[in-house]
Amino acid sequence: MGVLFPHRLVSCGVAIDRPEPVHPAPFFQAFGQSMTQIDQSSSSGLTRKKRRMRPELILGIALVVPGIALAVIFKLVPLVRAFILSLYQTRGFEDPKFAWFANYASMFKDPVFATSFRNAALVFVTLPVWIFLPLVLALLIFQRSPGWKAFRAIYFLPYMIAPIVVGIMFRQILAPDGPLNAFLIFIGLAPLAIEWLNGATSALFSLTSVALWSFFGLGVLTYLSGLSTVPDEVIEAARLDGAGFWRLLIEIVTPLLKPVIGYWTVLCTSSMLIWMFPLIYALTRGGPGSATMLPEYLVFTTTFEFLNRGKGAAIGMALFVFAAIVSAFVVRRMYAEGKASK
Amino acid sequence: MSLASVSDSVPDEVAPGSNPLLRTIVKWLVTFILVVVAVVALYPLVFTVLNSLKTRTGYAQNPLGLPVDISFENYAETFVRMDVPRLLFNSIITTGGGLLLSTVAALFIAYAVTKLRIKGGNLIFLFIIAMLVIPSQVVIYPLYETILDLGLGGTYQGLIFSYAAFGLPISTYMLAAFFRAIPDELIEAARIDGAGELRILFQMMLPISTPAIAALSILNFVWMWNDLLLPLVIMGGSDKTTLMVGVALLSGQYDVSIPLISAGLIVALLPVMIVYLLFQRQILSGALAGAVK
Repeated sequence: MGVLFPHRLVSCGVAIDRPEPVHPAPFFQAFGQSMTQIDQSSSSGLTRKKRRMRPELILGIALVVPGIALAVIFKLVPLVRAFILSLYQTRGFEDPKFAWFANYASMFKDPVFATSFRNAALVFVTLPVWIFLPLVLALLIFQRSPGWKAFRAIYFLPYMIAPIVVGIMFRQILAPDGPLNAFLIFIGLAPLAIEWLNGATSALFSLTSVALWSFFGLGVLTYLSGLSTVPDEVIEAARLDGAGFWRLLIEIVTPLLKPVIGYWTVLCTSSMLIWMFPLIYALTRGGPGSATMLPEYLVFTTTFEFLNRGKGAAIGMALFVFAAIVSAFVVRRMYAEGKASK
Repeated sequence: MSLASVSDSVPDEVAPGSNPLLRTIVKWLVTFILVVVAVVALYPLVFTVLNSLKTRTGYAQNPLGLPVDISFENYAETFVRMDVPRLLFNSIITTGGGLLLSTVAALFIAYAVTKLRIKGGNLIFLFIIAMLVIPSQVVIYPLYETILDLGLGGTYQGLIFSYAAFGLPISTYMLAAFFRAIPDELIEAARIDGAGELRILFQMMLPISTPAIAALSILNFVWMWNDLLLPLVIMGGSDKTTLMVGVALLSGQYDVSIPLISAGLIVALLPVMIVYLLFQRQILSGALAGAVK
């Protein structure tokens, strides 16, 4: 089928205007033959080119349709429906009534909605820890401490465990009579042995810490793969200048890692918005009160527990605005790397 | 996992002029920090394994220590209470189906937009990866409605299609980025030799891209297997639900003891741990690190 793409074969500098041999694979033979027939039946150069384009186009369409269908039916349509639903007043199982922006008005007046975004802001305050703890660990591992491979494997282990499992595990570990408090009492820090999941501030702190426990290994791995791209010459040259290993890392390697740090920051930010659901579900269910209520969990409870689907969709739209802005950075990076160069 | 021995260590890399005593202290301090973090990372898993081996009374008498007499009764009970064989089967079917469908769809699109150079190929690529901005939490109820409207309520297909759609952006991106690195000349040569496009895709591109497919399969396997929200809403408490929903619902039952739920947790995370052991080289090499959901 090589002759089907004259515009590209020219670039190879090979004689292209020759009859195409029918390839032997029986499965594609029929397809290949029909192509050849089209090729032979065409005479004038212009119409030939036009006709030759068609099978390529058909194949192209056939290849992109399944993926586009999946994306449209299971992501885009639900998003549009979520927006439409957010304009309807729904009460339990009654028929929905069109209500313009009533759900949004009710959402902004709802103190729990404000609390959920305030809690999210409090979680964001811990972002520097999320960014620099894995960086420091990656640097410690990168300088080839004894057993660095084992540390790398162990640090990534928590990320592999399902967040719902992590949540249930930590519900026991953080219980008032659980091992954390037993340890704190043992080392003489009895005043710190509090109800980790049941205090107004301690619950959100615990939730964030568990999320960090679950997520930091991915950061270590991300930084390590970034560090491995630093050219050896850079490190070698700095060493010849008499720079100590640590000065080297901090003054030379870390600035080179800026893109990785940026990427990891975006990833952490989006995870804080849309990755905590199973942890909240297992650890606190948004409580005590609404101390650990985050927007993504509020969408769930409003929709499925209070059966207020319209308002749940409106809160979902508010969350979507934030999640989309953050993810757009990831998409931009992915597009730059994966698009065909012209 | 390969708990690498000390032989992996390389001579310390501190500046040549520094004090040897200071160097030793720094070295031990670094190792100490790394060990403390490793203990924190491992302890919850160890604690859960230990509890899962205790009897109910054994746990009541000694909740934090080592099990006195090891018992597997919790595993036997969790198999019945959670119907583990059934849920395991459901998880395998839905994760496997989602994985396969999302990889094949991504393979097709990546090939079409990078190697066929169809008109608007970049636009299609952008459209697919832009779907990343739609998280499942935002659309979960309308997604459920859409699945019901398609007559897929309570079927494996509903969850499989959802997994595939949510795995598609990252899969397409990884394969497109990989295909871009394959020189066009290679494909032109195959075309001149008379290979059809589908043959090029399946007999040439597919074998070359095994590393990329392995990386995205591991990535998709982990999040699909571990996901809670999609199966919880789409399958609910039906008998087609997944292991993660099973363990979440079991942990909510009032008469469930901690040893019993611990056994359930271990059963739920075991398949992922096996994958981690088998593919740790691919996972830890960082092939996945740059491209995570």
